[in-house]
Amino acid sequence: MIAMANNEASRLVLRKDVAELKRLAGWIEGFTRKRTSPDVSFAVQLCLEEAVANIIMYGGARDDPLEIAVELERNGGNLVARIEDNGRQFDPTRALPPVPARSLEEAKVGDVGIHLMRSFASGMDYERRDGRNRLTLRFLEPAVRDGRNRLTLRFLEPAGEPAE
Amino acid sequence: MDISVDDLAGGITKVALRGRFDTTGAVVVELPFNKIATEKQKIMVDLSAVNFLASYGIRVLLVGAKIVKNNGGNLVILCPDNNVAKVLKTAGMDALIPIHQSEAAATAALAS
Repeated sequence: MIAMANNEASRLVLRKDVAELKRLAGWIEGFTRKRTSPDVSFAVQLCLEEAVANIIMYGGARDDPLEIAVELERNGGNLVARIEDNGRQFDPTRALPPVPARSLEEAKVGDVGIHLMRSFASGMDYERRDGRNRLTLRFLEPAVRDGRNRLTLRFLEPAGEPAE
Repeated sequence: MDISVDDLAGGITKVALRGRFDTTGAVVVELPFNKIATEKQKIMVDLSAVNFLASYGIRVLLVGAKIVKNNGGNLVILCPDNNVAKVLKTAGMDALIPIHQSEAAATAALAS
């Protein structure tokens, strides 16, 4: 195991296929396992699953050669995820929050994915450039987000291979 | 993702889910879950072995709970893990589907 540098990045290109979500999940888990807390790993997996599932299901016409690229970069206590696709224009940051249902009978099925992304990411930015959607999600370790001492981030230090 | 079903005393059906309740997992359990929701009246869904939940999983739980309610029954959730509980709460599911931390409490809620 090579000791990890402070700033690291990884990139994954996905096809327009729901089966790709499994590959995405495994890739994120591999990246975050030793680089983030379990809570941040969960948040990254949740937000990227929601974002990429949306693109795969609604991002293009049936035969479009849709291309989705996902990048993860860790910089200190900050993890940045970038999702870029050439599908139809869609800005999730402008989606309206869901209206809370008053009863099970009234509850609408769906519409929670973007709300989950907003809630579990520390920040979300969108831009449309060169015919592509670019969504950037930021995740802060709770210790950084809450302004606590950086010493509490010791688990982020490079570690040896885990015992299997 | 795995699904197992146990018939408990009092006509209660315990549905235990295990694994990642993401899009991939939800697609696997959606049909068997809907079938149970259609056939049973008192259902507790044990989420203690579910380590991940995304919106498609929420959709499956919500559709199941609606089916059961529509048939005059009740569906409750048992023991979600911390982050799974946070997803349920963020999605507003805690206001629609009762969540219990013990099988005894879930059983009492379904018996009443």
